[in-house]
Amino acid sequence: MTTLLSVKDLSIAYKVGSNDVVAVSNSGFDVPKGTIVGLVGESGCGKTTMARALTRVIADNARIAGGEIAFDGQDLAALPEAKMNALRWRDISFIPQSAMNSLDPVYRVEYQIMEVLRDRGGMTRRAARARAAELFEMVGIDKGRLRDFPHQFSGGMRQRAAIALALALNPKLVVADEPVTALDVIIQRQILDQLRTLQRELGLSVIMVTHDISVVAYTCDRTVVMYAGKVVEDCDTATLLNRPLHPYTMGLKNAFPDLKSAGSGVLTPIAGSPPDLADPPDGCRFAARCPFAAELCRSTEPAPLEVEKGHIVACHRASEAAQLRLEASKPQTWEAMA
Amino acid sequence: MPEAAVIRKPRVLSRVFSAVRLPVGDPFAVVGLVIYALFIVTALSAPLIAPYDPTEILYTENYDLASDLLPGEEGHVLGTTSLGRDIFSQIVWGARSALLVGLTAAFMVAFIGSIVGLLSGYFGGWVDALLMRLADVAFGIPFLPFVIVISAFSEPSIWNTVIAMALVLWRDTGRVIRSQVLSLRSRGYVEAARVSGSSDLKIILRHITPNILPLSFLYGSIAIGWAILTEASISFLGFGDPDAISWGFMLQDAFNSQALARQAYHWFIPPGLAIILVVSAGFFISRGYENLLFPKLGR
Amino acid sequence: MSKFKSFLIRTLQLALVLWAVVTILFLMFRLMPGNPLAAYIDPTFTAEQQEALIRQFGLDQPLWRQYFTYLANLLQGELGYSFRYRTPVADRIWLLLPNTLILTFSSLIVAYAFGILAGAWLAWRRGTRTEAAALPVVLATRAMPEFWLGMVLLAIFSFSLGWFPAGGTRSAGTSYDSLWALYTSSNFLSHLFLPMMTLAIYSQGLPLLLMRSNMLDVMKEDFITMAKIKGLSPFAVVIRHGARNALLPVMTSFAISVGYQLQGNVVVESVFSWPGLGRELVNAVAASDYPLAQGAFLMIAVVVIAMNLLADLLYSILDPRISHA
Repeated sequence: MTTLLSVKDLSIAYKVGSNDVVAVSNSGFDVPKGTIVGLVGESGCGKTTMARALTRVIADNARIAGGEIAFDGQDLAALPEAKMNALRWRDISFIPQSAMNSLDPVYRVEYQIMEVLRDRGGMTRRAARARAAELFEMVGIDKGRLRDFPHQFSGGMRQRAAIALALALNPKLVVADEPVTALDVIIQRQILDQLRTLQRELGLSVIMVTHDISVVAYTCDRTVVMYAGKVVEDCDTATLLNRPLHPYTMGLKNAFPDLKSAGSGVLTPIAGSPPDLADPPDGCRFAARCPFAAELCRSTEPAPLEVEKGHIVACHRASEAAQLRLEASKPQTWEAMA
Repeated sequence: MPEAAVIRKPRVLSRVFSAVRLPVGDPFAVVGLVIYALFIVTALSAPLIAPYDPTEILYTENYDLASDLLPGEEGHVLGTTSLGRDIFSQIVWGARSALLVGLTAAFMVAFIGSIVGLLSGYFGGWVDALLMRLADVAFGIPFLPFVIVISAFSEPSIWNTVIAMALVLWRDTGRVIRSQVLSLRSRGYVEAARVSGSSDLKIILRHITPNILPLSFLYGSIAIGWAILTEASISFLGFGDPDAISWGFMLQDAFNSQALARQAYHWFIPPGLAIILVVSAGFFISRGYENLLFPKLGR
Repeated sequence: MSKFKSFLIRTLQLALVLWAVVTILFLMFRLMPGNPLAAYIDPTFTAEQQEALIRQFGLDQPLWRQYFTYLANLLQGELGYSFRYRTPVADRIWLLLPNTLILTFSSLIVAYAFGILAGAWLAWRRGTRTEAAALPVVLATRAMPEFWLGMVLLAIFSFSLGWFPAGGTRSAGTSYDSLWALYTSSNFLSHLFLPMMTLAIYSQGLPLLLMRSNMLDVMKEDFITMAKIKGLSPFAVVIRHGARNALLPVMTSFAISVGYQLQGNVVVESVFSWPGLGRELVNAVAASDYPLAQGAFLMIAVVVIAMNLLADLLYSILDPRISHA
C-alpha cells in the first residue's frame, strides 16, 4: 500500500500573550492511500489543530513551528501560499464539525456547492448544477432540496451536504473534523455508513478526527491516539482495540460505549485532566493520570517506537502491556486514581 | 440581624464603587477622561478663567464699540462678536451651560430609564406591557421636533429643554436595563432570595440594582453627549434660554450676524470645536465602559 | 403564515404608537399657554373664517369632543389652515415633503455607500495605524453638531470659494416646466450638494461603525474559515461571504436612519434655507403658526414610525433565515 500523506515531527505553536503554547509537538503519522485513519483523543489534545494544519488554514495566532507534511510528493509545511491554495479542496477537502455554522446562512446550499465547482473546479454553471444534483444523490439527499437555505435542513442533512461539498472536486484526501459529534446516535450511524460506503466506492483517503473511540472502532482502518499534543499510539484499529499497548488507549476504551452494541458494560472515565501545554511536565505527559506510572515515566519522556510491525507506541512499560491490559479492564484500577 | 446588615452594606457599596470605576485601561477612554477633567475645571472656574463677562458689551480705549475684532486685537484672544462681546469668555462660560445640561440630562435619562427597566423587568406582566408600549411611543416621537416644540411653548429655560430630552431619551436605557433585569431575575441567588421570602423591594435594592448600575452609568454617559448636542441645536434655532451663554447660542449669534459671509471663522469655529471635543470625549469614555462591561466584544 | 401574522402584529403595534403620538400632539398644542382656540385660530382671520374653523374643529366643544373631532379630521387629512400662508396645512406639507425626502435619501445613500465600504475596509485593516487614526475621526464626526458642520461647509465652499450657492433649492428667477426638470437640473443639484454633504458626513458614522463591527464578527465565523479552506479567492471570502453577511443589519439600519435623519434635517434645512418640513416646523413654531407646526410634526412622526416598520420588513426580507423560515 502506498502512503498518501506522511506527517513527520510536526509542531504547531499558539502565541498566547507572550507565551508559546505548543499544541502539537513533534508528532507524526501516515495515511495509506484508500484508508480511513482515525485521529482520536480528548478535547485539547491537538487533534483538530493537527487536522487543520493539513489545510494550512489555522488560527491567526498559530504557526507551524517545525516538521514536515509530505503529501503526494510535496511538503505542505513549506509550500508557498499560492501553491497551497491551488491544492486546497481540489486535493484536500474538509468536513467540519458543525455544518450549520460552516454553511453560509445567506446562500442556498446549491449555490455553495456550485461556488466551489465553478471557482475551484473551473466548471460552467450548467455542469456545476448537474454535478451538484449528482453529489446530493450520492449522499442521499433529495435533489429538490438543493434550493433550500442551510437553516431549512435538519442536522443530519446539513452534515450530508457538508460531505457532498467535500467530495465535489474528487479530492485525494478528506479531513473530517468530528463529522458526527453534533448528531444523535442513530443519525451518527447513518452518516458514518454513508461515508464509509462512499470512501470504498471512490477509493478515498480519509482522516477522521474524533474524541469518540466508538466512532473510530466503527469506521477507521487505522487509528492514531493523541494525548496532550503528542501521538502516543498508532496502529490498525482492530489491534488497537484488542491489544492496546498504551495505558491511555486502554483508559479511553473504557470511557466510551460501543457504537455497535450499545449499552454493554459500565463506563469508567479517566480521572484528572491533561497537563497545561504552556508548561508541560518533564517525563511522560500521561504519567499524572496513569495508574501504572513508574519512576522513569515521571522523569523521562518515552519516545514513540515501532514495537511490532505497524504498531507504534510511546510508553516505557509497553513490554508489560499484556499484564497492564488485564489491570486496566478493572474499573477499580482507574477509580483509585480519582 | 444588625450584624448581617453591617456585613452586607460594604458589599453593596463595593459593587456600586466597582460600577463607577473609571476605564483607565483604555487609551481612548483616558483621553476622554482628560478632556472631561479640563472641561469640568473650566466650567467650575469660569469666572476666574474668562477675562470678561460673556454678556458685557465692550468698548475700546477710544470708547468705540469693540465689535468684530479679530483674534489678538485689543487683547481679545479670539476676537469679539458683532455686539462687542468677548468670544473667548463666551467659550469659557459656555462650558458651564454644557456641563449643566449634560449632567442633569444624563442623570435624568439614567434615572428614569433604570426605574422603568427595573419595574418592567422585575414585575413583568401588565407593568411590563404598559411600560414597554410607552417606550415604543417614545421611539415613535421625533426627538428634536419634540424638544423644539416643548422648548418653544414653555418658558425658555435650560430646564425645560432638559426635561423634554429626558421625556424621550429614557427609552434606550429602559429597554437595555429591562433585558438585563430579566436575565438577573432568573439567576440562582435572586431565585434563592425570593424563595427564602425576601421582599421585592429588598431583592431589587440588594441583588438587582447593584448589577444594573454599570449599565445605567454607560447609558448616562452616552446621554451627556446627546444632551449637549441637542441643547446646541435648540439654542441655534433660537428656542434656548436667552440668559444663558451656551455654545449653541454663540453659533446662532454668529450665523445671524453674517459671520459666515464675513468669513469670521474665529467666531464660529471655536464653539463647534468645543462641542466636538466634549461630546467625543463622552463617546470615548462610554466606549471604554463598554469594553469594561462587555470585554469579549474587544473593540 | 406566522411570518405574516407577526408582521401584522407589528403593524398594529405601530399604528397604536402613531395614535399615541397623535394624542400627545393634540395635548401638547391644546395645553400650551394662552387661548385654547389659538391652536387653530389666528386673531387676524375674518369672522367667517373663524366661525368655519370653530365648527370644523369643534373648538367650542369640551376637550374630549374636540379630541374626537381632531381624530376624525386627521383621518380625512384635514390639518387646519396655516396662519401665515392662509392655505390648508396639508397643501403646504405636500409641497415641502419632496424636498425633505430628496435631501434625506440622497444624503443617506451617499453616507451608506461610503460607510459600508469604509467600514469593511477598516475591519480589514484592524490593528493597523490606519485604523487607530481613522476611528477617532469617525467618532468625532458623530460628535459634530450637524448645523455647525453645515455652517463650516457653507463658509468655505459657498462664501469663501464661491463653488456652491448659499441656500434654497434654485437660483432666484429660474423656473422649470416640471418637478422632474427641476430636480434633474444642475441648478437644483448644485443647491442640493452642500446640505446633502453635511448630512452625509454626519450620517456615515453609523453604517461605518456598524459595518466594521459586523465584519469583525462575521470574519470569525466558521463559514469564513471554511471558505478559506475551500481555497476561494480573497474576494470571495471577504466580499461574497464576509461583507454579504455583515451587510444585513446595516441595510436594516438604513430605514431607521431615514427616520432619524428627518430630525437632523430640522437644523440643517434651517442653515441652508432648504424649503423642507424641518425648516417649516422651526419657522412655524417661531411664528406661532400652530396648525402648520402641528402638521409638520405629524408628518415627520408618520415617516419615523413608517421607517421603523420598514426596518422590520427589510430585515425579514433580506435575511433568508427569516424570509425562508
